[in-house]
Amino acid sequence: MTTAYPLPSNLSPATVANTASLLRIVALALISGAAIASRLFAVINFESIIHEFDPWFNYRATRVLASQGFYEFWNWFDPTAWYPLGRVVGGTVYPGLMATSGVIYNFLHALNLPVDIRNVCVLLAPGFSALTAWATYMFTKEMKDESAGLLAAAFIGIVPGYISRSVAGSYDNEAIAIFLLMFTFYCWIKALKQGSALFGTIAAIFYFYMVAAWGGYVFITNMIPLHALVLILMGRFSSRLYVGYSSWYAIGTLASMQVPFVGFQPVKTSEHMGALAVFGLLQIVAFGQLVRSHVSSAQFQKLLYASVVATGILGTAVFGLLTYKGWIAPWTGRFYSLWDTGYAKKYIPIIASVSEHQPTAWPSFFMDLQFLIFLFPAGVILCFRELRDEHIFVIIYAVMASYFAGVMVRLMLTLTPVVCVASAVALSTLLDTYIDPKEPDTGDDTKSESEATVVSASGTNGSSFSATPTPTPSKKIKKAAAAAAAPLPTSGIISDLVAATGGPTRRGEPIKTKGIFGMDSRLIVIMHTLAMLSFFVFHCTWVTSNAYSSPSVVLASTNQDGSQHIIDDFREAYYWLRQNTPEDAVVMSWWDYGYQIAGMADRPTLVDNNTWNNTHIATVGKAMSSTEENAYPILRKHDVDYVLVIFGGLIGYSGDDINKFLWMVRIAQGVWPDEIQEPNYFTPQGEYRIDDMASQTMKNSLMYKMSYYRFAELFGGNQAMDRVRQQQVPKVGPTLDYLDEAFTSENWIVRIYQVKKEDLLGRDLKSANAFGQGKKRKRTKPVPRRRAIV
Amino acid sequence: MRSLFALLLLPFAFAAKDPQQQLVDLSTAGNGVIKLDATTFDLLTSPKRTWSAAIQLTALDKRRRCTPCMEFDPSWNMVAKSWTSVPKEQRNTHFFATLDFDDAPTVFQKLGLSSAPIVYVYPPAEGPRQPANGKTAPSKYDFSTGFEPGPLAEHISKHTPIPVPYKDPIDWARWASMAVGGLGLLFVLRFISPILTNRWTWAVGTVVTSLIMTSGYMFTRIRNSPYSGGGGNWIAAGYQNQFGQEVQVVAFIYGLLAFSFLMLIMIVPYQSSPYRQRMQVYLWTGVIMIIYSILVSLFRVKNRGYPFKLFL
Repeated sequence: MTTAYPLPSNLSPATVANTASLLRIVALALISGAAIASRLFAVINFESIIHEFDPWFNYRATRVLASQGFYEFWNWFDPTAWYPLGRVVGGTVYPGLMATSGVIYNFLHALNLPVDIRNVCVLLAPGFSALTAWATYMFTKEMKDESAGLLAAAFIGIVPGYISRSVAGSYDNEAIAIFLLMFTFYCWIKALKQGSALFGTIAAIFYFYMVAAWGGYVFITNMIPLHALVLILMGRFSSRLYVGYSSWYAIGTLASMQVPFVGFQPVKTSEHMGALAVFGLLQIVAFGQLVRSHVSSAQFQKLLYASVVATGILGTAVFGLLTYKGWIAPWTGRFYSLWDTGYAKKYIPIIASVSEHQPTAWPSFFMDLQFLIFLFPAGVILCFRELRDEHIFVIIYAVMASYFAGVMVRLMLTLTPVVCVASAVALSTLLDTYIDPKEPDTGDDTKSESEATVVSASGTNGSSFSATPTPTPSKKIKKAAAAAAAPLPTSGIISDLVAATGGPTRRGEPIKTKGIFGMDSRLIVIMHTLAMLSFFVFHCTWVTSNAYSSPSVVLASTNQDGSQHIIDDFREAYYWLRQNTPEDAVVMSWWDYGYQIAGMADRPTLVDNNTWNNTHIATVGKAMSSTEENAYPILRKHDVDYVLVIFGGLIGYSGDDINKFLWMVRIAQGVWPDEIQEPNYFTPQGEYRIDDMASQTMKNSLMYKMSYYRFAELFGGNQAMDRVRQQQVPKVGPTLDYLDEAFTSENWIVRIYQVKKEDLLGRDLKSANAFGQGKKRKRTKPVPRRRAIV
Repeated sequence: MRSLFALLLLPFAFAAKDPQQQLVDLSTAGNGVIKLDATTFDLLTSPKRTWSAAIQLTALDKRRRCTPCMEFDPSWNMVAKSWTSVPKEQRNTHFFATLDFDDAPTVFQKLGLSSAPIVYVYPPAEGPRQPANGKTAPSKYDFSTGFEPGPLAEHISKHTPIPVPYKDPIDWARWASMAVGGLGLLFVLRFISPILTNRWTWAVGTVVTSLIMTSGYMFTRIRNSPYSGGGGNWIAAGYQNQFGQEVQVVAFIYGLLAFSFLMLIMIVPYQSSPYRQRMQVYLWTGVIMIIYSILVSLFRVKNRGYPFKLFL
């Protein structure tokens, strides 16, 4: 056997195996280190702080769990959220994340390591990303081999699509959920491959953990049944499938029902019905197989077949009836809006309003996955080449996840693992082929093009043709030879493809020799692969440090000399609230800031990011979008003491309330269509403006007034400019009669207003104000001044 | 004598005829829709009305070239027609009417309207059905939901004594074509089943689906992006935005790159001539490098702050 480069020959196979295994361990350790390290940008650039919005609630709940124990947490009723309704936290939360940090915290304290709970929360996501890399390694190992597994682990470790949800401080359910997702899938594949009830049970346990951790568990609930269904339809039913699926479904479903927030949903809602139906179908098919193996009569088998079909139809009918009768909830809400993409905007604007529920444009895909996005289809094709049971899983996963990721930016997270797995399979196959030192049997150098085509077309051994030239080329071969002269010999390629796609499953014998000639072909492919990989590393580092490591609680800008300038308005304002207001002062803000106010300012809020009560949110929206006079009774009825708005017009912070204002109007309009109408907030030309041309309703709305109150004064007589909308603000700003400005942060991002109490003399506040300013009521006729008599 | 008396009273009786009855007659004559002119408009929207009314202000004349009016008119008539099926006592307390611009331009002037179509719903100003908040001013229907009859009926139902019994007509043609299509598929299935059971059919389907999805097709569907920006400009400005043509270009680029890798993996190693193999290795490597550079530069157009570039 000739090799392209010299190989050491004095190594025993055991040494090679041991070294490879050691190298794998070292590589995995390094990958884990890289995964954790690249997520620490946020801590290094800013500080160890909880990010965004939802993590603030998780952090607050974890603090309760860590300080008061699990039972207190479980029974926690939070009277300060959704004031005056309150919130039963224990029953409305996925507790997996908090429980995980609580366990880690208690474990470390048992070891006498006095770690702050905040640091456990901040570093949980990076820690779990290392575990995700390992789980992906195990999963990919089942698809191809260890080297593909290592590549996949490296990809998922640093790919921005996953980093975006798991940087240090991003203490959200997704932080641990992706590890659970991948590990459940790995156990499922194992269970399926080995027909092992043990792995089925482990899959079920991790499925339970996933259910306790993230609402996205429904993805697993539907992926595994779909895989099982496709296997049955392909005629690949086996007792391994039966054992694996039944053990997973039975234990997993019973376990998932123990989570209070999930409760009886697994037997009552449509999202879970697929799993149940496939479970039933499996029993029928298994029974059919059993009977078939005992009965030989062909007619009986036909009857059996018919009865199986009839049972299936009957089951569907029963399901339809139950749905119709309302015993099974039909597809609703979030999950339904994935299929009917116009549904959310029409019926649940609150879901449509969230920025991470928007559809994904292609630059986001490229930003998050870079070159993996185009290796991914190649990997899927390679899965089709082998098409073992587990490859079908990857294929289904690829289709479903790419659709979901297209519909919602947030679901990019579920696409990322399969992209990493598939592209690792593709890239590792490429590297296997081109690193392999074995030189194929060299054919005759003088062999003509047409002969090469004949070899591939007829599929016989090339060496037999090398001696004898083709005697009478048939018409087809002539055509192929003509095409081969072109730079892209299509017919040759197709025949090659047919030859190559047979793969190892095709009759088990190699069709012809396979391999690469010479060093230069190897080198160029390996070099450019390495170049792409290192470009990927640069890309990931850049994206992570620039785009995904901002805590969004603290903003950063760059000074003229290039140094970093920290904008800390949010915390400034929240600490002001904490220190200057009574503890029971109710703060009203748009729901985005509810968790942050509760977490940082520790004050009761009307609405927060747990958007469970649409009417309550619409009430806040109505107060914000109506006039002061109309809003005041609403504020007073809800005991609101302070109103908090986010305003970015001064420094150009685009995520402010004026930009979110239309959603407030829309949500309020959904509940009070007679009082709030969206078109009133536009100019007659249909533009959304805040300058002189703004509509009267817009100018009189509470939100507009609170945002631009005294804004023009800042500019000292010059034209005031809103730097987000790029519009000029009217010189005479709005006036406020029912609210008092209480606090405005350094860069005006947060503005807090105090709601005035009713006037002590019983006047309405508007006239009381006018009186206070010395304006007298207009008389119909000015009293003529008495003229002195000369 | 008596007859003479009656004769004398006749015009008086006619003039004093209940305006509501008059409207009912007009409505019946117009198949559920009153065709208004300036006087009947005043009658229908009189400040003493005890009935509610929904009025379509439109310009159906061909010369006005109001395409939206033409599109909306059938929906309007369908909803109005469905109202004729409700019991008499409710039916006569709400009217549907159409006012064409060419019949009464003065009304358009009076209402200060310069566009069409517009739907106003006048709540009753007096009587038992007067709205509780005392607002008798007409409300305008918001066309943001389109010209579909369903949402329109839903909106008008808020102002009628009983909901408008509108139901979308069953689209028999669609059902029939679906049935025929299904039967045809079953018939064809026998012939194409070898294609359907071939894994490569499915492979191509899968890959094409995921390519289209990962190039932002759903974005263009949900946001109704135009195919291109006009004037040869096919790249939408902004990172979170894209045109329909970008889907095609990006999907093609991804597909070509994936194809090149597949060539390197699946085809090139099976070449038995070293020369041909080397040529193919160089060819596909070159294709990957060039196309990837194009992709990166395309991405730089979308994301101006992106610091990296390849050969282009």
